[in-house]
Amino acid sequence: MWDQFISLMINILLFIYNLIGQNFGWAIIIFTVFVRLVTYPLNAQQMKSSKAMTEMQNSKKWQDIQKKYKDDKETLAQKQMELYKEMGVSPFGSCLPLLIQFPIIIGLYQAIIRALAVTPLQLVNLSKHVSDGANLIPINSQFWWMELSEPERLPILGIGIPVLAILVVITSYIQTKMVSPPGAPGADGGQGAQMTQAMTLYMPFLMGYLALTFASGLALYFIATNLATIAQYMITGQANFKNILPKLPNMNR
Amino acid sequence: MTKTKKFLFIIILALLALGLGACSGRRIVAAGWSGVTAAEETVYFSYGPQAYALSLKNGSQKWAYPAEPINGVDFYAAPAFTPDSEQLILATYKNEVHSVDPDSGLKNWSYTVPSDSRSAVRFIASPLTTDAGIFAPASNNILYALDFDGNLLWEYQTEDPLWATPIWSENCQCIYQVSMDHHLYALDPESGSLLWKSEDLGGPIVSPPAISESGLIIVSTFNNEVVALDENSQGVAWRFQTRNWAWASPLIDGEQVYISDIAGKDDAGTFFALEVDTGDVLWQIQPGGGIFSAPLVQDGLIYFTTDASSLVVVNQDGVVQRNQPFEGKLYASPVSGGDQLLLAPSESEYYLIALNQSGVQVWGYPPAKK
Repeated sequence: MWDQFISLMINILLFIYNLIGQNFGWAIIIFTVFVRLVTYPLNAQQMKSSKAMTEMQNSKKWQDIQKKYKDDKETLAQKQMELYKEMGVSPFGSCLPLLIQFPIIIGLYQAIIRALAVTPLQLVNLSKHVSDGANLIPINSQFWWMELSEPERLPILGIGIPVLAILVVITSYIQTKMVSPPGAPGADGGQGAQMTQAMTLYMPFLMGYLALTFASGLALYFIATNLATIAQYMITGQANFKNILPKLPNMNR
Repeated sequence: MTKTKKFLFIIILALLALGLGACSGRRIVAAGWSGVTAAEETVYFSYGPQAYALSLKNGSQKWAYPAEPINGVDFYAAPAFTPDSEQLILATYKNEVHSVDPDSGLKNWSYTVPSDSRSAVRFIASPLTTDAGIFAPASNNILYALDFDGNLLWEYQTEDPLWATPIWSENCQCIYQVSMDHHLYALDPESGSLLWKSEDLGGPIVSPPAISESGLIIVSTFNNEVVALDENSQGVAWRFQTRNWAWASPLIDGEQVYISDIAGKDDAGTFFALEVDTGDVLWQIQPGGGIFSAPLVQDGLIYFTTDASSLVVVNQDGVVQRNQPFEGKLYASPVSGGDQLLLAPSESEYYLIALNQSGVQVWGYPPAKK
């Protein structure tokens, strides 16, 4: 099942690669956008659920039960579940679409690495996934200054600068900030806020670390998917530009 | 953030790291299969971070090179002797060709390919050594010619990576190099100048061709085809359609040539015996699995391996004598080591095993833990 899924992804990737004149970097970018379009209903559902959750957590009812049962975790959890039901919000509504996308991310990365096939065992593996397409081999893995099958560094004055990893951190940060709705839970500086802030900070660096150490085809995918997400939020009018810059202390006090 | 979400977030990150790490392109545990060369009393082979010299008699290790693995440096190409047998040439997956003393395993010299640091230059195939020098094909599309002190004599660039050892032609007194760019190049060994270049043979070529006594150069291609080129006219003498990619080198045995293909999506690989001069099929068998390397002919029997983990023994009429399963995958050619047969399995507890004539294992390396 998983192998068939990977085969499908590899063959779509190679089809795009061939269609656009055998440029693997552009093939990754176009494939990423294509995957975002195909999974748009899932993303839309995730955005909708996330918004509903934010609204519910900002509601007076929610705040009241937090205060009322703050010392009784069991009852608090029970009341929260009741409120979820009452307001028609699923606690997993924004997580499930993310979980469904997870195999797609892994599959896409495996498809990229397997298609590049720069060693004999990788080519053996690729041969089991492509029925045709021998004429596309070897895949041209050069894209601008990058070798897509290797971690990327741009040599400047003898120093290898990880340009893609830096771009991954920046775009991940912008994307995470931009998609956080105004008045997101935890604006009160409580535990929720700390967790959200930690995620906003750690997530881009985690992605940056992956981009730094794995094949640069993955970094290219991260950047493409971040930019596609930002574009998607902008097009649907849900982008929150105010969140991007760090909040300055209130000078009027 | 609720506890459930926190938990899911951590699970996602862990799975993401595992999922990506499982197929990292950065550091590969095994990127190729072992290359084996047997001499009178010693067998030399490369596998991963080291090359080894073992006693043919009992498989005991004589030396390993380098003595301690160097991070990121892998050896897979079969070690090649220089014509005087004084040097053993080892090609790496990271920019270097090494010469070592076959007796001691100590380094004589190494040649480092100038690299632009974007990616490693891999020497997938073993170098060819002739009186004119050492000819090492590389993944950066270049054939490097070195003298016996490791100095660069010349280099010749093709359009795509070189994964096949060049071959020497007595007839043309030249070397033939095949490329993934679909062409065969005839080069002058002294100067590296191009003597002639074949037409587009239809698909990538990753294994050395074979030359018949009548001057046919027989080439396996990924275009599901084996093509015979006439050395004199430089044109195509015959073509033979295989079912899948023809990966393994052809082997000429008298009036027959043995060729094979890998397994397709719904089809096992096929082993064919063709008439050398015409390309007509004499017989064919499908023992199961794909065939990635040339067969060995010994004492009137044909030995070949499949990635279905079997050693297949066939007589010259195509009748299977033995189909012997092994642990791991068998991609590399069987090699004759005196009265023993040497196999280098991948994904196995042994890097190398020696069999007697009946197929019984005599020894394995590394030795099994007691």
